[in-house]
Amino acid sequence: MIVFNQANTGRVEYMLDVLGIKGFTFFEQVQGRGTNGGEPRRGTHAWPEMNSCVITIVEDEQTAPLLEAVKKLDLRNEEVGVRAFVWDIVATV
Amino acid sequence: MAIYKSAIEKPVTTALIFVAVIVIGIYSFLKLPIDQFPEMDPPYITVMTTYPGASASEMETNVTKIMENALTSVDHLKHITSQSKDNISVVELELEWGSNMDEAVNDVRSFVDMAANNLPDNCAKPVIFKLSTSTMPIAMYSITADETYAGLDKILNDEVVPQLNHIDGIGNISLSGAPDRYVYVNIDQQKLDAYGITLEQVGQVVSANNLNLSSGTIKMPQEQYQMQVRSEYIESSEIANLMVAMTPQGQQVFIRDIATVKDTIKDLSLDEKTNGREAVRLIIAKQTGANTVQVCKDVRAELAKIQKQLPTDVKIEKIYDSSENIQNSINSLEESVLYALLFVVLVVLFFLGKWRATIIIGITIPIALIVAFIYLGLADSSLNIISLCSLTIAIGMVVDDAIVVLENITRHVERGEDPHEAAIYATNEVWISVIATTLVLVVVFVPLTMLNGMAGIMFHELGWIVTVVCCTSTLVAISLTPMLCSKLLKAKKVHVDENGNLVDDEAGKKGWYERTVVHMLDVIDEYYAKSLGWCLRHKVLTFLILIAFFAASLIPVFAGKIGTDFMQQQDNGRLSVTVKLQRGTRIEETLKTARKLEARFVELVPEIQLINTSAGSNDDASIAALFSSTMNNKIQMTVRLPKKWERDRDIWTIAEILRQEMASYPEINEYQCVVSSGGPGGNDITVDLEIYGYDFDKTSQLAEQCRQLISQLPGARDVNISREDDRPDIKITVDKEKASRLGLSSATISTYLRNRVAGMSCGYLKEDGSEYDIVVRLEEEDRNSISDILNLSIPTATGKSVKLTEVASVGEYWAPPTIERKARQRIVTVKATPYNTTLGELANAITSEVVPQLDLPVGYSTHIGGDVETQQDTFHDMILLGLMIIMLVYIVMASQFESLRMPAIIMFTIPFALSGVIIALWLTGRSLDMIGALGLVLLVGIVVKNGIVLVDYINLMRERGYELNQAIQMSGRSRIRPVLMTAFTTILGMIPMAVSSGEGAEMWQPLGIVVIGGLTVSTFLTLYVVPVLYGVMSRHGDRDKQEALRKKFIFMDIKVKKEEKA
Repeated sequence: MIVFNQANTGRVEYMLDVLGIKGFTFFEQVQGRGTNGGEPRRGTHAWPEMNSCVITIVEDEQTAPLLEAVKKLDLRNEEVGVRAFVWDIVATV
Repeated sequence: MAIYKSAIEKPVTTALIFVAVIVIGIYSFLKLPIDQFPEMDPPYITVMTTYPGASASEMETNVTKIMENALTSVDHLKHITSQSKDNISVVELELEWGSNMDEAVNDVRSFVDMAANNLPDNCAKPVIFKLSTSTMPIAMYSITADETYAGLDKILNDEVVPQLNHIDGIGNISLSGAPDRYVYVNIDQQKLDAYGITLEQVGQVVSANNLNLSSGTIKMPQEQYQMQVRSEYIESSEIANLMVAMTPQGQQVFIRDIATVKDTIKDLSLDEKTNGREAVRLIIAKQTGANTVQVCKDVRAELAKIQKQLPTDVKIEKIYDSSENIQNSINSLEESVLYALLFVVLVVLFFLGKWRATIIIGITIPIALIVAFIYLGLADSSLNIISLCSLTIAIGMVVDDAIVVLENITRHVERGEDPHEAAIYATNEVWISVIATTLVLVVVFVPLTMLNGMAGIMFHELGWIVTVVCCTSTLVAISLTPMLCSKLLKAKKVHVDENGNLVDDEAGKKGWYERTVVHMLDVIDEYYAKSLGWCLRHKVLTFLILIAFFAASLIPVFAGKIGTDFMQQQDNGRLSVTVKLQRGTRIEETLKTARKLEARFVELVPEIQLINTSAGSNDDASIAALFSSTMNNKIQMTVRLPKKWERDRDIWTIAEILRQEMASYPEINEYQCVVSSGGPGGNDITVDLEIYGYDFDKTSQLAEQCRQLISQLPGARDVNISREDDRPDIKITVDKEKASRLGLSSATISTYLRNRVAGMSCGYLKEDGSEYDIVVRLEEEDRNSISDILNLSIPTATGKSVKLTEVASVGEYWAPPTIERKARQRIVTVKATPYNTTLGELANAITSEVVPQLDLPVGYSTHIGGDVETQQDTFHDMILLGLMIIMLVYIVMASQFESLRMPAIIMFTIPFALSGVIIALWLTGRSLDMIGALGLVLLVGIVVKNGIVLVDYINLMRERGYELNQAIQMSGRSRIRPVLMTAFTTILGMIPMAVSSGEGAEMWQPLGIVVIGGLTVSTFLTLYVVPVLYGVMSRHGDRDKQEALRKKFIFMDIKVKKEEKA
């Protein structure tokens, strides 16, 4: 799962394309609050910005490049913000 | 999809929609006519009734009163005034400005028809006139000539007027003072008596020899001819050689023996001179709805062409051309608009420091303005003073919305976002609040459109234009601005070096702009944050200082330093001088004085370019006569001076010099020197003291007393009484018995008298298709004294003559004056023009110093009217309007903040705006007039906008969890730039208006001064008042807020028992 500032949408999509990741599920207008710094994204008067979220199921060997790419994107502009989290997929149909 | 998103996704559509708007706007702009004021129907309707033979007081009781009673129930009636003169009654209705005049005329007609049955039998049917703009002269020219003066009438009527009539939109063209050619046969009374001939005999001979008669048909064997006696005069000299009678001695008497025949121009009754040369005044009116500027321009071009065809000594000179004034005013306002645009763009460039951003902001201004032209085109309005003033006001405000959007987008882009996405999401964050701030402006300006009266007409357009412009600018700010940002702004440039490290290309690079302007702004921010911190620590002291400042700023008001006016007097370079000599003064005597005055005026005021003088009366009732009421004892002068920037002395000083000169002439009874201002509906701005009462002698005496008292007031000039003095008439009373014994009747005697004095009309001398009157009358020496009149020979039935003295007595007699009434009571008005003082002060001085000294009997009352009354009405309306606007602004703000307290904090800046206004007026020595009051009303909207920005941000910081004082200080530091920027754009946008010295600039200068003063002071104080007040008002409530929250979520306080935990 990659959670990112709406403003990063274009870059995240580009990143997935470059890494050859075809499938994903995209959630728009997601709220969030970071634990380690960063502004909350609540869509309120105080914190007007919003996040988006992409869930993509990839092969194990693709995880590392993807996380690296996310890190690169975060380095590009830290204030805008992007985070990635990895789970195991137990089953699917 | 939200509008900003569609705009960003479809840049071509968005751009082209605005291109289309611009094209339509430019088209509308080119089509817009130019005028001085928005189209307004002067709301005056006049009902004129004639009743032959009735004296003024009979007229009053039998006609005027009946008409007045009937007409008082006309809808929207404001004032009803009337004049009753011998034979004629004129009732004038003044309706509310802006009433539908067609409806009103119908209304009046039905009331007049109802009342008509109650009028006396011989009364003619009342005539209803509607005063329309087309009856007002738009231009006046003087045509002077030397040798050809006698033939000027023919030249004008045959060449000039017909050519001018071709011009599109031209209305009535009338000539004043044109010399008519007359053939006079002046008979010597003594010779007539000696030969025993009567004047009528001579007249018959003259007419009998001037014939063109058909005398039947002659049939010849083959042909048939019409026979005609053609014996018309070819030359006037033929008349002298006619034989009148044969003496008993057989001697023939020719006309030349008893009379002189003069082929000359008509006896002087109206004398027109321009710069001392014989002149004719050409008065031009336009058709209703025609474009004044265009008509005047065409007239100028046409006259220039005609000039070439005229004899060399004929000169056409302009006395007055209203288009010049309009064109100059409009030009100087257009200049103001352009300067405002330039200043605003410069301010934006200064604060943003980026040319791309400046272009994006700059583009919103022309688009918003162009939409205003589309509105004007759709509303059938024109480019006028009001519409251009509104644009100047609006320019400073239209950029605000775009700036807010642009700032937020820039912030996002600087964080490293892609401009395209930044534009979408950044706009999303602010677009609601942008619309909300526009709403504040809309609630200020829309109520302006609801004002009544004359102010209503002027502000209606202003209200709509600013509303339209502001709404457009908001629309642009949330569509075009984000779109342009997404295209024009560049993402922060970064690149990756060989080691894979991110390198910020721009870091460390500091341009000239960064080093100077940004540094300076940083210093200001720092200083402000510090001083704000101090204020927050010393709230009480800060408040005391602010209150002391506010109180001190009110001192000029209580010290009476700020006067009030209706409208500023304008220096249009034109003076109207009216001089009244003793009643009954002979025209030739009046002219002598006129010549003396002309000579002295030019000596005293070498600046004078042209003096047009008319004296006497024109007995031909032309439309022009409606506008100039000259009489034998009255001189009217129009003095044209160079434009105000071409001379050192202002027009009021010059007027004062002329007044002092006129005061030194013993023969001058009354004089006025009026500065013609181009105000709508009226020319001179006066205070009218109305004295109501029935008895003539008493009211005249009171009026005279008032006139003397008012004249002693330092600021009063041109004090005059509306009631004319009694006119001395010569009354001839026929002794009916004696007359009838001689076979005479009053009717025949009156005809004979008329023939002798005024002349007997005996046909025409025809030349080139024109006809000239031939008049037989007595020599002037034989009819210019009462004894001459008594000695007139009257032919009796027996063929002999008697002297008038035998059948009638002659006496001097005072004809009663015109009876003026207002609100169905008799009235005398004493008018005064303010000099070096304001209308309001003069009116106060009159009420406090003059009125108490009057000893008013029961049934007599006084009232202050005129422009002062209109001014009071307007101010009253403005105050109500101001209160309503404050309420509405409060409502909008309260709903925006969802709080009743926040708007109250912001509202506290309004009093300081007032201080600023007072200080600005005091420093510039201006008075508060209608336009200034408008500025005050506008300030409410402009000033609170600053407060909103600040409070909004403090709220934001509070919500983000900062401590109160820290939040306030942070917000102050962060918002000072946008606050200063919006304030500077508005202030600088107004500066061209405030310092403009163009023609008519006096009118809108107060608006600029008021807004600049108010905004400057309130902006700087807002930066302290609002944060400090916020600090005072929130601390208390805030502690409660946390406590309240704790109580709301009380479940957190519940103790959980150990066993339950498990």
